[in-house]
Amino acid sequence: MEQTELQVEIPSVLKQTSCQNIKGFDCVDYGNGNNPNPLENAISDKESYGESIAGSKITKLELQEVVIISLPASPSGLHIGQTKLVLHSEKCENTDQNDTKNPYPQLAKQKKFHSQPILVRENGDRKVVHSEAIRDHRFDPFKTWSGRLERQISNLRGKATQEPDIEAGASERDEIEEAPGVDRYFDALEGPELDTLRATEVSVLPEDEKWPFLLRFPVNAFGICLGVSSQAILWKTLNTSPAMSFLHISPMPNLILWWAALALILFVSFVYLLKIVFYFEAVKREYHHPVRVNFFFAPWIACMFMALAVPPSIAVNLRPFIWYILMTPIFILELKIYGQWMSGGQRRLSKVANPSNHLSIVGNFVGALLGANMGLKEGPIFFFAVGLAHYIVLFVTLYQRLPTNAALPKELHPVFFLFVAAPSVACMAWAKIQGDFDYAARIPYFIALFLYMSLAVRVNFFTGIRFSLAWWAYTFPMTGASIATIKYTMAVTNVVTRSLSVCLSAISTFTVSTLLVYTIVHAFVLRDLFPNDISIAITRKKPKFSKMLSHFRSSSADSKDFDSSISKNSEI
Amino acid sequence: MAQNQRRFNVTNHQIPIPTLHQSTTNTTGTDTGTSTRASKTASSSDLSILTRFHAGYFRISLALCSQALLWKTLAEPTTDARALSSIVRTIPSFAFILLWSIALLTLLLLCLLYLVRCFLRFRSVRAELAHHVGMNYLFAPWISFLMLLQATPFLQPDNRLCRILWCAFSVPIVVLDVKIYGQWFTQGKRFLSMVANPTSQITVIGNLVGAHVAAQMGWKESAVCMFSLGITHYLVLFVTLYQRFLGSDSLPAMLRPVFFLFIAAPSTASLAWDSISSSFDTGCKMLFFLSLFLFASLVSRPALFKRSMRRFSVAWWAYSFPLTILALAATEYAQDVKGVIPNVLMLVLSVLSVVVTLALMVFTALKTNDILPHDDPFVCYNIARGTTT
Repeated sequence: MEQTELQVEIPSVLKQTSCQNIKGFDCVDYGNGNNPNPLENAISDKESYGESIAGSKITKLELQEVVIISLPASPSGLHIGQTKLVLHSEKCENTDQNDTKNPYPQLAKQKKFHSQPILVRENGDRKVVHSEAIRDHRFDPFKTWSGRLERQISNLRGKATQEPDIEAGASERDEIEEAPGVDRYFDALEGPELDTLRATEVSVLPEDEKWPFLLRFPVNAFGICLGVSSQAILWKTLNTSPAMSFLHISPMPNLILWWAALALILFVSFVYLLKIVFYFEAVKREYHHPVRVNFFFAPWIACMFMALAVPPSIAVNLRPFIWYILMTPIFILELKIYGQWMSGGQRRLSKVANPSNHLSIVGNFVGALLGANMGLKEGPIFFFAVGLAHYIVLFVTLYQRLPTNAALPKELHPVFFLFVAAPSVACMAWAKIQGDFDYAARIPYFIALFLYMSLAVRVNFFTGIRFSLAWWAYTFPMTGASIATIKYTMAVTNVVTRSLSVCLSAISTFTVSTLLVYTIVHAFVLRDLFPNDISIAITRKKPKFSKMLSHFRSSSADSKDFDSSISKNSEI
Repeated sequence: MAQNQRRFNVTNHQIPIPTLHQSTTNTTGTDTGTSTRASKTASSSDLSILTRFHAGYFRISLALCSQALLWKTLAEPTTDARALSSIVRTIPSFAFILLWSIALLTLLLLCLLYLVRCFLRFRSVRAELAHHVGMNYLFAPWISFLMLLQATPFLQPDNRLCRILWCAFSVPIVVLDVKIYGQWFTQGKRFLSMVANPTSQITVIGNLVGAHVAAQMGWKESAVCMFSLGITHYLVLFVTLYQRFLGSDSLPAMLRPVFFLFIAAPSTASLAWDSISSSFDTGCKMLFFLSLFLFASLVSRPALFKRSMRRFSVAWWAYSFPLTILALAATEYAQDVKGVIPNVLMLVLSVLSVVVTLALMVFTALKTNDILPHDDPFVCYNIARGTTT
């Protein structure tokens, strides 16, 4: 009985993820009988291949059975839209054998929810190519123009790649093309940097495989540039300020750090530029992430730090046009982000406020400081005013810790150091604009100092937190506070202020060196400096409960964790 | 369905827009009797048009009075408006007097209409006072009077009559302040976080305009007093509005033009501090730059205003006043900081405000039907309050 044979065959097919040649989609064209029976497995086995041909010839005379199987893209779990096991029995009359055109119009009309076509490689030596091509297409939705750019480039290069059916990924692309709304980010992610997937969520991309490097390269990487360039400013200030001349710091550290920072900025910018070119969708998703969007200010702030830290041996007076060039992207980004805060809707401040928003505010103050250094008058005041107004709003909002605000971490995390950044840079900017360190500059300075102290005495709460690349961004507030203290020492010179300057500078240098060691260890020894960037791979819609359940079972997570996540989700 | 719609409107404290309101008056149920009564009065006499008019119409007077002030400032001999002064001085002074008179007449007409409404429809006025958008527009006539006072071509600033009039116009502002600001932090249903919306900035503007005029007349202490009132509440309001605690549900889409009030408040503060401190110092500059930034931010978001621009309504007049105040602040800035860019800024902003006001006047003349009050938005609301409470 062929029928029972067919039915028995099904489970074994599911066990193997081997590939079959399917005409069109995953439907079987029994019309001409040339296609092998999809229920048969073992590509390489010619014997069974022959058998299957025979089998199909027999079955087509009897009950026409159509099986549509779509295999999951990732071996780890199931995912909505990617997995539909449809056993579709259709009793079609075997009427016209000559009708080879479209014997199953119903099937053709049926909406294809399948993810990838299953390609066959008849030659063994092309198997490698085929497996690469499979992995390639999984990341297609994140690539620029959904992978078409890459195909163009490889076509230009003359590489012969098997073109997958475009429509195969169509539905999945629809799922991924539009970045998720901000609500989804808050629902699906947790953690102070919103970078850990909740237990009940599934990722669009395979979680247990290493993704392409560019896809794993987050915009947080610019934080390293911020950290190193602010160190360069610190050492320059230690070298040039007369109040600290008792330390006899040479200009060498400044020079070395400046060149190192420059190299880092060029490298990180280059890599991120490649990511924009090749994985634009992923960049778009990062831009819509409520925490990561603030890091888009980081490259410009880092460049301004470089301009502030430029060693006297290289350049003394910088041209003002540099300031205009650097402030234009900040201005445009600000218009967008502050406007979103004001006009409400999904991204209103009471909902998305988180400490990383300080990065968007600090840009204003750094710009004001740089402009005042260059001798400009009105521009620095403009950005200082804008920064101050929005800083007051953000400061009050974060201090209130509104219940509607989901993004503030309950436990302490290095991200809190960003609180120190804005007032310390603001005081320096105001001092430069006014010409001396007057009372209006001292007030923000003391606020910065107070915030620093209240975090520093809780340093034991910072232990046990997973290291991430974003930590570099949190070092620059410490350095900023040290520089502000040095400027304050220049205005009020006595033993207390001098020792405070030395102390804070030592702490910040020590922190940066420790972080450097950590980074090197993670980069070269542990090789997990760039883990899979889960936070951009969340689904657009909440996965159904059944899918959550099956994903959960397959990933074998802690049941207690599962229960708590389920209960949390049901509360939302 | 229409009844549910209206209930929804009521619970969300929205002023129903005229077209929406007309559809909701055809409701079945307990309110049919009163709504048919309302429609009867609507069809019967013209007096009802007058009484249906609400405080939002004072936007027109705000716009015209601020225009008069702008023209006066530009025409002043002390104003060193290079490009503009040559143009402005060619226009005979008769034109300024005409503009000032038109503004005065409009304001008097609107005040008269509102008085009629107070007498004939006092319940609606009470409802308006309780509404989170309507109550702020009660400041508008006093602001207009103060601006007219400053723009008057007839009197000198330190004239005795001027001072008396200033007192007469500022006292209502202070009384309203006490009522509304007090409500913000004491009264249960009307906490600031509940009622805050962009029109709340009109209260702040009232204080700041009072301070500005007082300083021009030489009364520094009163000026500083009103300024401090205004700026403190502005700080609180600014933070609250940016936080958008309850989302943008509190303002109907037709009233989106009032977002331009974000521009007006810091500009007015800048002007006020300028007259108090007699020079455009860093604080004034910072306030002016903040309003410039907010202007850029709003102008780069046309999608925010799309829905309200579909149909002409009195809400469109909300565009004019903030632009004019911004132009005034730019004028003061250009006087203090000599240079090309400040002058260009002043020129551009002044031209923009004049063009916008003229366009609005043309639109009003052409589409008189759209701007006349169709229905009293507070009547049904009041009646509904009576039935629900």
